[in-house]
Amino acid sequence: MSNTLRISIDGKEKEAQAGDSILQAHLKGDETVTANIGCMGQGVCGACRCLVRKEGERETATRLACETLAEEGMQVSFMDYYQPARVSRYGLEDIRDGWEWMKHLRDVFPEASNCRHCSGCDRACPKGITVQEGIALASRGELQAAAEVFDACIMCNLCTLACPENIRPNHVGLFLRRAHAAQTLRPGDLLRRLDQQRRGELAIDLSAVPTAQGERA
Amino acid sequence: MTQATTAIPHAEALARLASGATPTLRKSGLSRELLLERYHPDHAPAAAATLQIGANAGERCHPTLAELLQANALIDGFDLAGAEQLSTDVLVIGGGGAGAAAALTAASHGADVIMACKLRLGDSNTVMAEGGIQAALGRDDSPQRHFEDTLRGGHYRADPLLVAQLASDAPDAIRWLIELGMHFDVTDAATDGGTLRYKQAGGCTQPRILSYRDYTGLEMMRVLRETVELDPAIRLLNRCPAVELLSHDDGSCAGAVLFDLEYQRFVVVSARSVILATGGCGRLHLQGFPTSNHYGATADGLVLAYRLGAKLRDLDSFQYHPTGIAFPSRLAGGLISEAARSCGAWLINGLGERFIDELAPRDVVTAAILRECADGRGIERDGRIGVFLDTPRLARQWPEGIEHHLPALAHLAAKCGIDPATEPMLVYPTLHYQNGGVVIDGEGRSTVPGLLCAGEVSGGIHGRNRLMGNALLDIIAFGRRAGQRAAEDIGKRPLRRGDIEHVYSWQRTLVQSGLPRQARAPRLYPGPGHYPLHRNERSLA
Ligand SMILES: Cc1cc2nc3c(=O)[nH]c(=O)nc-3n(C[C@H](O)[C@H](O)[C@H](O)COP(=O)(O)OP(=O)(O)OC[C@H]3O[C@@H](n4cnc5c(N)ncnc54)[C@H](O)[C@@H]3O)c2cc1C
Ligand code: SF4
Ligand code: SF4
Ligand code: FES
Repeated sequence: MSNTLRISIDGKEKEAQAGDSILQAHLKGDETVTANIGCMGQGVCGACRCLVRKEGERETATRLACETLAEEGMQVSFMDYYQPARVSRYGLEDIRDGWEWMKHLRDVFPEASNCRHCSGCDRACPKGITVQEGIALASRGELQAAAEVFDACIMCNLCTLACPENIRPNHVGLFLRRAHAAQTLRPGDLLRRLDQQRRGELAIDLSAVPTAQGERA
Repeated sequence: MTQATTAIPHAEALARLASGATPTLRKSGLSRELLLERYHPDHAPAAAATLQIGANAGERCHPTLAELLQANALIDGFDLAGAEQLSTDVLVIGGGGAGAAAALTAASHGADVIMACKLRLGDSNTVMAEGGIQAALGRDDSPQRHFEDTLRGGHYRADPLLVAQLASDAPDAIRWLIELGMHFDVTDAATDGGTLRYKQAGGCTQPRILSYRDYTGLEMMRVLRETVELDPAIRLLNRCPAVELLSHDDGSCAGAVLFDLEYQRFVVVSARSVILATGGCGRLHLQGFPTSNHYGATADGLVLAYRLGAKLRDLDSFQYHPTGIAFPSRLAGGLISEAARSCGAWLINGLGERFIDELAPRDVVTAAILRECADGRGIERDGRIGVFLDTPRLARQWPEGIEHHLPALAHLAAKCGIDPATEPMLVYPTLHYQNGGVVIDGEGRSTVPGLLCAGEVSGGIHGRNRLMGNALLDIIAFGRRAGQRAAEDIGKRPLRRGDIEHVYSWQRTLVQSGLPRQARAPRLYPGPGHYPLHRNERSLA
């Protein structure tokens, strides 16, 4: 397990042990890491997105540094997080009205219908999400199915960076997911409990504070 | 950290497990109290120190934390001279779930908000939460039971008023999250608009964990982040850690000093109220334990609040989650959610025995695992020691269960190179949660006027042990309370530029008490501590 390998991160040579992730190799220097790091291995925050070129290959791939093992001769550059110039603005009212769902989607994400099926988003996604299919479903009006596609999306924005049409696919996906929950999720148990509380039932009896000694039955 | 002198080799333990005999539950022979006293890390001699200065002087505190709490500030008046000046009604520090809930609520009550994040909004413990969030919705359940379970789980050391608010806020917190567009798992979709799915948590008398698959925190955080980013009343500053608070002459909080890493300069934010939501301290690796926490969990909020005079509590009480990954070492400390145990997975020692009720409170299960390892009944694989989480048995009883209801577990096992359906995972306790924190009242106010706190940085809600699912609830319930209070205080609190007079008086106290002035805090980032802020080191000497 203890063979050392060399990889290049943001132009600096680093030594890593076989079995280290790229992120672990990155942490080994004497500079404090202050960006492109968050959950450190769980692969859920998307902070550690990077471009990776393996030795002897021409193509680069987008990856999460905390979920990718370091390999001898790898070249890695981290990708800064940025706020795209044109943020699609919408408010909560736009996701609450089920009857206008499709219109709101068109208003907020007019580019979604311009997809040229280049698959750039699919190649960029480190989670293997079929992004392009999600956008196709959305433009056909199959909104719930489209929302479903983005179920495990970590919002790393790599598909947004990759899209030549400025579609921002993951934000389309999240818009649809949010709309779906906000409009359709009305669990009976929650409604009943809220109603009981509104009527002043179920207030907590503080005098019934149990204690370690005399616990209530 | 209690490390075993001996342990049973992995291959031998594996063979024993594979033999198919149904493991029996060995009698403990120790009361829960004795088990905790002898084996829980909080009770180790290495976990005790006494604070010498500040609002908690004379009280017990973990020595690693005490060092930070009693350290000198990172900045001096000199640093503020050329700083950029901003002002706002409410400054929220910390971009996890508590910060987001506070910012959104303050904004919806009419406040102008600045939100400062050390990493980016969402790079937090919140996004990593898997298991779920508690809310008493079941027919046989009630806020009262939730209240009593939480108090009992926390060994009756929580503030009953805060716990009562936690339990009764829960249903509305869930409603709020759904309104923002968060999904929860549902059963019986056919009847009555469905019923939310309840999972059992250790230490609870009723199943009351609501979840979204086993990435509840991811679903929560992506919805909260998008909502914050789209809110025109919130100005988001990413990569701008708070390095010090600002004070008025009367000692109240006046805002904070941030360090903007992008432009490498200080930013002074004057605010009517500050809401600290900086989370926990797992990355301090207390007593050498691995941690489940994100990179930014370095206790900054506690340090900042303490220096300004805020009272803290339970600074010697931490949660070590029973099931951190022990093997491979690359992933050591990573969390295997309690969901696996709530679904029925057993813990097995090297002799093939069960040794504890897997759904006992977390501190008890942790102490029991540490006891097995200390007494040589642990399992060793390539120098790593732990016990088995018996997922193969679970898979046999519940085919498809793992893949369908525990996808994060399946994903994690794959990263460990393990097929959970055929091979058990090796687990060892991991530093998971800071039980104590800043003392707050029912509206998130600390003992310093103008300084509010929400989330893991605050104390008193969970006593000395937190139940699964109560942290995600706490950040939403108290994040909203703090946000609303701060917004309602707009008319009552001044918007004047503050100063760092409290830092000067702190430095005098350090000298008087003979404490070193070289140690500096907050830590901000784990690791060697070489980042641009420290250009200023020379001017401070
Ligand atoms: C792996 C894991 C699984 C968990 N699972 C569950 C679960 O299933 N159910 C449950 O209830 N709880 C769970 N918890 C606990 C729960 O997730 C956390 O306690 C909770 O999310 C804390 O929220 P918070 O907003 O207070 O802190 P965080 O979410 O940690 O957010 C704090 C933020 O503040 C930032 N920050 C820190 N210092 C500074 C500074 N100086 N300046 C500016 N910003 C700063 C941090 O970088 C971070 O972004 C889990 C925790 C972990 C780590
Ligand atoms: S943001 Fe895009 S690239 Fe990233 S996980 Fe989601 S779908 Fe995949
Ligand atoms: S990258 Fe953009 S244009 Fe290309 S397939 Fe994906 S969504 Fe369509
Ligand atoms: S550090 Fe969070 S996804 Fe890699």
